[in-house]
Amino acid sequence: MNTTSIDFRPFVEWDNNPFILFDPKGKILYLNNSAEILLGYVSKKELFDLALAYAPQSFGYKTTSLSLRYEAFNFYSITVGYENEEQLAIRFYNAPRLRNHIPVEKEKLTLTDINLLLEANIALFKTKNSNPLQLLTDPDMPQLKIDQNRFSKLLRKVLESFRASDSIRIELKLLVGEHVIIDDQKISIAQLSTMANGRYVDNDKEIKTLSEECNIRSNLQESSIKLEIPLIT
Amino acid sequence: METFYTESPQVQQIIQGLNLTRTLFVSSIIIGEPHTGKKTLVTHLFPDIPVVSGESQEEVEILLEQSDELIITDFEKLSNKEGLLFDNKRIIATANYVGNQKIIDSLFAFIYMMPSYKERPEDLKTMKTHFLEEAAATLMLDASLYSLDQLPTDLTHNSKSLKRAIYHYLMRHSMSTEEIEETLHTYFLEYLEGNNGYKEHIGMYERPLIKAGLEKYGSQLKLSEVLGINRNTLRKKIHEHNID
Repeated sequence: MNTTSIDFRPFVEWDNNPFILFDPKGKILYLNNSAEILLGYVSKKELFDLALAYAPQSFGYKTTSLSLRYEAFNFYSITVGYENEEQLAIRFYNAPRLRNHIPVEKEKLTLTDINLLLEANIALFKTKNSNPLQLLTDPDMPQLKIDQNRFSKLLRKVLESFRASDSIRIELKLLVGEHVIIDDQKISIAQLSTMANGRYVDNDKEIKTLSEECNIRSNLQESSIKLEIPLIT
Repeated sequence: METFYTESPQVQQIIQGLNLTRTLFVSSIIIGEPHTGKKTLVTHLFPDIPVVSGESQEEVEILLEQSDELIITDFEKLSNKEGLLFDNKRIIATANYVGNQKIIDSLFAFIYMMPSYKERPEDLKTMKTHFLEEAAATLMLDASLYSLDQLPTDLTHNSKSLKRAIYHYLMRHSMSTEEIEETLHTYFLEYLEGNNGYKEHIGMYERPLIKAGLEKYGSQLKLSEVLGINRNTLRKKIHEHNID
């Protein structure tokens, strides 16, 4: 089959697996949509170094199985390849996400101003802790449908993990360009990040369970907890 | 509507939290020692929400089915807490102690700890003023005759013991001679018996007389002059009544 007349670029562009094309100095010549989002979590240099480290010894392509994690991104493999001295390509393969088996029961959810719940939980936290706490929020965040009680429990557990941390920073923002599909609907995502110099992990199991029950993806790191909240309306 | 006064930052945070969630369907509980103002605070903030005591499991369950908002006091007294369904309801509960932490943790989104009066000295002045005014009005006395510093501070049972101590103080300090006599009269009517009554009860007069005299005049010499009795007699009585 003659494929020279087919323009493959849109297929790469809209591939859910990140793809980046570097020049020999590490400058990005091309990146697809997914890679653009990935670069919000990891530096260009780190990815270029990775490409160099896993590049084949001579022209061609090499696929390596490895486990990579950049915040919400999980990859199980990468392919690095080059056909000339000018371009080095790297493609990341998304690890399959565990499917959420809890159905969204919209009729049981209440339209909520998430900032209100956040403020109330911070007030609760402040009754027990005097740690300095900084809140950066988006006042224009649209209201979302959520189980208010369960989500409040989740927020309490998250904040409790930072009960002994210094200078806690809470950030709520809309993840531009990222979506999740729920009931065949494309739904925007808000990210609630809580960060400090360290945290307790005793609540992690409950945080994961409560997140799942709220259809929220949780990302628990050594000194941060990030919740990706679908803006169900 | 009940009123609630506080200057404690911790209690103010609880109020802020409850106010922020007043339109939301979440479950909250305030846990703290008895008589720290939990119920007063909640009924003050939510005057229109029905109130039920945890003493009756059945009543709580009936009201939970009928209403989507409810105040449950004495939550610790409920016999079957696990079976309660708080989904999509506005529940505000109060409890004197935590009990089973796991159950509380799973039922409530907001768990507030109400500090005792010992832990919130900033509220003492307000509470004392409040009780002084209340007691003075009840006993028909002039509140301005008493200063807050003079009033006793009994916090063993939080506001209950504080209130009681202030009422007693005002009663003691406003009694006329006739009333003191009347009090003694009632006492003797009940307790006077045996064959040594005079000696047994004379101390009730002599002990406070000598103790107050010593406090007021400082020395035994001066006090014996004021009392018009011999210094040796006074010393004998101090010894007899074990006065330091």
